[in-house]
Amino acid sequence: MATTLYLSNDTSARAAGADQLANAWAEECDLQLIRTSSRGAFFLEPLVECDGPAGRLLWPRATPGDLPRIRTGIGGVRLADVPFLAQQQRFVFSRFGQAEPLSLTQYRVQGGWQAADRAAGWSPETIIQEMKASGLRGRGGAAFPVWNKWDIARRTASDQKYVVANADEGDAGTYCDRMIMEGEPFRLIEGMLICAKAIGADCGYIYCRWEYPVAAGTMRVAIAEAERAGVLTVGGRPFRLEVFRGAGSYVCGEETALLSSLEGGRGMVKVRLPYPAVAGLYEKPTVVSNVLTLATVTEILSRGAAWHAALGTERSKGTVALQLGGRIRQPGLIEIPFGSTLREVLERFGGGMADGGRFKAVQVGGPLGSLFPESQLDIPVCFDAFTEAGAVLGHGGIVVFDEQTDMVELARHYMTFTAEESCGTCSPCRIGSVRSRELLERIERGHGTPADLELLADLGETMKVTSLCAHGARGPYPVLTAIEHFGPEFGNRLRNIDT
Amino acid sequence: MTERVRGALAVLLSAHRPEPGRRAHILSVLSAVQEAFGYVPADAVPLIADTLAVTEADVAGVLSYYPDLHTVPRGRHAVRVCLGEACVANRSTALLESLCHVVGADLGRTTSDGRFTIERVYCLGNCAVGPTVMVDEQIYGRVGSEDLRKTLKDYS
Repeated sequence: MATTLYLSNDTSARAAGADQLANAWAEECDLQLIRTSSRGAFFLEPLVECDGPAGRLLWPRATPGDLPRIRTGIGGVRLADVPFLAQQQRFVFSRFGQAEPLSLTQYRVQGGWQAADRAAGWSPETIIQEMKASGLRGRGGAAFPVWNKWDIARRTASDQKYVVANADEGDAGTYCDRMIMEGEPFRLIEGMLICAKAIGADCGYIYCRWEYPVAAGTMRVAIAEAERAGVLTVGGRPFRLEVFRGAGSYVCGEETALLSSLEGGRGMVKVRLPYPAVAGLYEKPTVVSNVLTLATVTEILSRGAAWHAALGTERSKGTVALQLGGRIRQPGLIEIPFGSTLREVLERFGGGMADGGRFKAVQVGGPLGSLFPESQLDIPVCFDAFTEAGAVLGHGGIVVFDEQTDMVELARHYMTFTAEESCGTCSPCRIGSVRSRELLERIERGHGTPADLELLADLGETMKVTSLCAHGARGPYPVLTAIEHFGPEFGNRLRNIDT
Repeated sequence: MTERVRGALAVLLSAHRPEPGRRAHILSVLSAVQEAFGYVPADAVPLIADTLAVTEADVAGVLSYYPDLHTVPRGRHAVRVCLGEACVANRSTALLESLCHVVGADLGRTTSDGRFTIERVYCLGNCAVGPTVMVDEQIYGRVGSEDLRKTLKDYS
C-alpha cells in the first residue's frame, strides 16, 4: 500500500535538507511525497509527516535512512507533543504545513478565499468598517491603523488607484512574509483583492526583494493560476497584478522609497504629506501594505472583526507573528496574541540557548531595533509598551545573541549597515552614520577615546530627531542601547590616554 | 564594451524605449541589461541614457544606488554570505572570513580562475536555518566552514 508523506518545500526547509530527502527517496516504490508549506518550526526541519491511525505524526530532522521507520509509524511524535507548536495560538498561520502552496483548490477546500468572496458582496465602506472594528495595525513596522490608510485612499477621487504589497521584508531576522509568499501565495493575492475592493483599485504590484527569488517565482505562478481560474477580479473587472523585483536596497522597504523604486528611480525617501494614500505611485492614490498585514486581513474577513478585537491588548489587537532566530535552540515562527512579555516568549518557545551558550542580549525589531539585556526582558510584546521604552516591535524579528558576541564589533556592524543603506536624503543620516561607523571602527581597534563615545551619543541624538524616516531616526538605537547596557565593553576598549 | 556587445545592448535597449510621453523605467532597464550581460558596463551609461531619453546622471544615479546592480563583470558564480544579524549571531562573519581565505579572494572580488565572486548580503529570510550562504540562486543553511568548502567544489 502506498505511503503518503508530507515534506515542506519552503526555502528554509530546503536549506535544512528537505530536497536531499526528496532526492534520496525519488526511486522508492509505493511512496507519494507531497511538498507543502512549512509549519515554521524550522529547528525541526527537514520535517516529515505522515497520517497514522491515531492522527498526524511528525518525524523531525529526518534523514534518508529513516524511511523504513516512518513507513511503519515508528518514532513519530504527535503535534500536541511539540510544545513549540502546541503552545501557539495560530490563526493566520494555522494552515501552514498542510497544503501544497500552488493548489488553489486545496486553498479553497481548507477555507481560503472565503474572505475575498465575502468582500465581493460588501461595499468599500463596509470592508473598511470591518477593518476599523478589528483594530488591525500595520505589521510592516509603522503599526499605522490599517482602516485609516485604506479609507484615505478610498475617499480620494482618482481615475486610477493602486494596491502595493510591501514584500521587501528587509529586516534581518524576519521571514514571515517569505513564508506567506512561498507557502500560501493565494492568501496574499486574496488580501490585495480585498484592499482593491475597499479603495477602488484595479491594479496592483508586489514589490518583492530580489533576495527572495523563490517567493517571487511562486507569486508569479499563483497570479497566473488565479487569472486562469477567473478569480483575479475586483468588482467583476480584471485586476492587473505584477511582481516587481527589488535590487537590494533596505530603505526600499519604507513606503515612499518603495514607490520611488517602483517608478524606476533611486529609492529615495520622500516627505509625507502628501501620504501615498492620497498621491503615491505616479501621484495616484496608493495603499502600500505589508504582506503579513494583507494576510491578516483575509483572516479578519473570514472570522469577523470581533474575533480579532478580542485578542491581544487594549491598543495592540490580534496576534503577532514573532520570528525567532539567533543563538536559541528553537528558531522559528510563532503566532501568539499580543501581550506576553519578551521573557515569556523566550522561555516558552526559545528552548534554551544553543550549544550550551549563555544569553547576552536580544534584539527586537530588526537592524533598527533596540538591544535588550537579561534584566530588561519583562516588557510586554505590544506596540505601546515598546514605544514607551524607546523600542520598536518592527516586523516581529527577535534575534538572540550569546556570550561570544563582542558588543563593540556588533555595534560597528550595525552602523556599517546603517551607513551603507542610507538613501542620502538627510544629511545627518547620510553623514552621521558614516562618522559614527568611523568612530566605532576606531574604538574597535582600540584607538577610541571617551570623547568619541560622547560624540557617538551626540550624533545619535541628532539623527534621531532630524531624520525623515526611521532609517536615520532609529539607526543609532542598536549602538546606543549596546553602549547603555554593555558600557564596560566599550569603556575597556578605549585607549589609555596616559600612555 | 566591444562593438559586438554594444550592438547587442542597442538591440536590448530598443525594446525598452519608453512610449512617447511616458518616463523611462530606468531600474527595470538596468536589471534587464544585467540579466543579459551579467553586469551593466559603466561605459554603457551614455547609450542607455540616450535610448531612454534621460540624462546620464539619471542612469548613473540609479545604477549607483542599488547594491544588486554591478558595473564590473563578476565570476561565474556569486557566493553571497548573509550578514543579517540572525546569521551574524550564528558566526557568519567568521564564515565569510574563512571563505575569503579558502578561495583566495577578498570580499567584492572574483577568484583568479573566474569561478566565484565573493559578496555579502543582508538577509535572505533563512534566519532560522542559518548561517546562510547563497550560491547563484541556491540557498544553503546551517553552513559551517568545512561545509562551504565542500559545497563550492560542486561549482565549476
